[in-house]
Amino acid sequence: MTGKSGLVNAPTGSGKTYSLMVPILLEFLQQTSPKDPGAKNNGLQVIWITPIRALAKEIKNAGSRAIQALGLNWEIAIRSGDTKTSDRTKQKKKPPEILITTPESLHLLIASAEYSKFFKNLKTVVIDEWHELIGTKRGVQIELALSRLRAKCPALKTWGISATIGNMEQAVEVLLGPEYKDGDWEVIRSKVKKKIVIETVMPDEIERFPWSGHLGITLLPKVLPLIYQSKTTLIFTNTRAQCEIWYQRLLEADEDLAGQIAMHHGSISRELRNWVEEALHTEQLKAVVCTSSLDLGVDFRPVETIVQIGSPKGVARFMQRAGRSGHQPGATSQIHFVPTNSLELIEASAIRTAVKSQKLEARYPYIRSFDVLAQYLVTLATSEGFEPVSTLAEIRTTYAFNSVSDEEWNWLLDFITTGGPSMEAYEEMRRVGFHTGLYRIMNKKMATRQRLSMGTIVGNSSMNVKYMRGGKIGQVEEWFISQIKPGETFWFAGRSLELLHIRGMDVIVKKSKKKRGKIPSWQGGRLPLSSQLSEELRQKVALVSRGEYPDKELKKIKPLTDLQAHRSLVPNENQLLIEYFKSREGFHLLVYPFEGRAVHQGISTLMAWRISQLQPISFTIAMNDYGFELLSDTEIPIDTALKNDVFSTFHLTEDIQSSVNSVEMAMRQFREIAAISGLVFKGYPTKEKRVKHLQSSAELFFKAFADYEPDNLLLLQAYEEVMSFQLEEVRLRAALKRIAGQEIKLMRPPKATPFSFPIIVDRLRERLSSEKLQDRIDKMRLQLVK
Amino acid sequence: MLETKLQGEQLILDAEKAIYWPRRKALLLADLHLGKAEHFRREGLPVPMAIRTKNLERIDGLLKKYIPERVIFLGDLFHSLHNHSWTVFCDFLKKRSTISFELVIGNHDILTDADYQEAGLILHEEPYLQAPFILSHHPQEEILDGYYNLYGHVHPCVYLEGLGKQYMRVPCFHFGKYHGVLPAFGEFTGMAKMETVEGDRVFIAVAPQLATETGIIKQVSF
Repeated sequence: MTGKSGLVNAPTGSGKTYSLMVPILLEFLQQTSPKDPGAKNNGLQVIWITPIRALAKEIKNAGSRAIQALGLNWEIAIRSGDTKTSDRTKQKKKPPEILITTPESLHLLIASAEYSKFFKNLKTVVIDEWHELIGTKRGVQIELALSRLRAKCPALKTWGISATIGNMEQAVEVLLGPEYKDGDWEVIRSKVKKKIVIETVMPDEIERFPWSGHLGITLLPKVLPLIYQSKTTLIFTNTRAQCEIWYQRLLEADEDLAGQIAMHHGSISRELRNWVEEALHTEQLKAVVCTSSLDLGVDFRPVETIVQIGSPKGVARFMQRAGRSGHQPGATSQIHFVPTNSLELIEASAIRTAVKSQKLEARYPYIRSFDVLAQYLVTLATSEGFEPVSTLAEIRTTYAFNSVSDEEWNWLLDFITTGGPSMEAYEEMRRVGFHTGLYRIMNKKMATRQRLSMGTIVGNSSMNVKYMRGGKIGQVEEWFISQIKPGETFWFAGRSLELLHIRGMDVIVKKSKKKRGKIPSWQGGRLPLSSQLSEELRQKVALVSRGEYPDKELKKIKPLTDLQAHRSLVPNENQLLIEYFKSREGFHLLVYPFEGRAVHQGISTLMAWRISQLQPISFTIAMNDYGFELLSDTEIPIDTALKNDVFSTFHLTEDIQSSVNSVEMAMRQFREIAAISGLVFKGYPTKEKRVKHLQSSAELFFKAFADYEPDNLLLLQAYEEVMSFQLEEVRLRAALKRIAGQEIKLMRPPKATPFSFPIIVDRLRERLSSEKLQDRIDKMRLQLVK
Repeated sequence: MLETKLQGEQLILDAEKAIYWPRRKALLLADLHLGKAEHFRREGLPVPMAIRTKNLERIDGLLKKYIPERVIFLGDLFHSLHNHSWTVFCDFLKKRSTISFELVIGNHDILTDADYQEAGLILHEEPYLQAPFILSHHPQEEILDGYYNLYGHVHPCVYLEGLGKQYMRVPCFHFGKYHGVLPAFGEFTGMAKMETVEGDRVFIAVAPQLATETGIIKQVSF
């Protein structure tokens, strides 16, 4: 390591902990040892940051073994949300040499008194699973914490551990901040490469396989034998609701599986998940139906087979999941892909090619997240206070905030001291005061409030599901439980539960014997197809357009693509397909850029808005990963729109922001920003507030800000986050540029085509209208409400 | 504005979600939920200061338009316990002391008598009879012969549906055989779908979005 910083590039679970632990210990020995290698109480030497608490224990065990092997007398301890208060006090009094912690707990340390003293011997910070953190606001939290630690300990070394991502160099730049510019760093690559075998589970008759849908139950009978073939199988689903449904249907299909399979997702209580993980280790389970909740974390050696239900939407995610099987060095990873609708067969073909060519997605870092910065400044104020000039200089060394202007900085200081121009009258907005050169927290109450509301993960208002005699089962969202009356049954965590009553934020239930009941779903958008995978997908479609069917997936889907070609067209790489036809529902305009739903959301909004500038018109918009639909009650002037260059990138940002959707999206985004920046306080533990009616009014609050303080930095941030993360502006521009070079093929099929069908049946729709309210109302008829 | 007859009385329905009753020179408003902004604020959600004056500006517009002698609030005038908004509201009423402001008490009206005295409000328990109407906050079960119940509380709306999977939720007045309900006047309020039966009359009410517009008040047929 020789005093340098850097990054270790290694996949999860390949002995990466030792790759840094051992050099750190050796360095300590070199520097201090001849005198006394067994010295105790050396002060805090290393902070090891992990994104998931579950990994902390494994790191601790590995560290302990390394310490023992080298004959050191170091202590190694964990500090996370689960750590007891007494242990924390002990750690503060007598720091361990290595502290394993999470980004949130690190910030809490910075919010505690005398943190400078605690960190004074610190030599190295290790950030584990950096690829998981970089594209999140927790990554920004780490950047900020590092900026302060570097200021306190100038010789500090920073090391990241990361799986391969598409933007490795940028990942280093964000992590190392000012050290990156010095150029004195290195990347160490692991040579371990894993072989992945992908097998698509094929429907027997493509004619009987559904054209749309994302559940995939049709192929369940073909998944059962896979479970029996191997010791343990992980079945990955894309949503928690799908996970619940698959678990239930597997048991219905094969009663012998009872007691042999389990379920694992993020809304199931920690206790139950721990039990499932433990049972996986000890080979008690034949299969676990899970979501991304098992993407990460400790390795389960008995797992031999992976099943992926539905498109994983990204190459890296697919490979990560595949890597959960076959842990012995040199073993191959087996993954079975289960398509949920016909067109996903093309995706299956695309993903195999993408895995082969190792086209991995980039994880782009958040920049200028003023909500996180506001929270951080109040954190600094809570403990030792902060001096504005040097703190600003520190903050500007981070990747996220190097462009913060003096005006923006002053707005932030104003925001944490008074609440900003439109909130001045509220006392609880005066969180921080300026005294003798330092910004400090106003009072004890504010400090407590700050410690309770730290963090960047903002959940939906969820309620705890519990048995009457205690025993947590997990969490469901408030809107779901509001549909269920006491005495009714719902299915959750694989159990049939009868609702007894609701007490505060607790849903009290008992076991029920009823076979059927509502299954909860959780909000949280569907992931869009990544740009790597969509590119591959377009090439597969182009192959088909030329009549080439190189693999069995494409061969299977031939009858369907033949029908598409017959009714309309299968586009090649130089064509953009547009379909326009009339049905009982109205006028359908379908466009197929094959760019993933995030980009389609942008393009469809843009197109709808631009057409609506030609004449007053109202649209409802639906989309999937292949294309989108604009549906209108009147004839759509598509020829005029194409003549007017409807896909131009000119005025792109302005046009997108003028459209209704971007406002609505920003409004949703604003909820999170308001919580992180401290505008919203959710209440003290055990006294959390019910936020249902408050949340439903978010629209009004957002509009109020937009009306009365349009240059509010947090409001602008909401728009920027929508542009860069939801609409993926960079991809959007690239897509429009690509379209500009394409030949537009406007087809007028007599009726819906195989490509259009899954979009048309989608009930989740956005709206855009340029008609006057009066005119819209005139055209509508009063519907008797069901 | 739209004139209609109810129980033999001439009434004017306004797009601003109010009824003017010319014979009694009375303006009827339901569910203002004033002070809800502060209530939200205390629950941990931000509301900028300026939004709070909007309700009062809208009332002022109606007072200038109809020059009523009485303004009768059909309950849920104030959303919570005493806070700053109440003082602002009291000042607003005091400046218009020639008008009689009256409140039929609703479920959210939990202020003290002293608070109401401060505002100079005349209080009525429900049902409050003003022949031929029974004015109340909640719908009344017992309707005297020859009377008709006007109430608030439910924040009614209807769904309008068009081609191309379009739909809208629009606040409305809903007049049944014995009961008529007013849309919520307040800005910070949700809405509930109205069940409609044969013979009901429904008027949608959409306040103007811009100063140059007039708003929409019209009967919908079905």
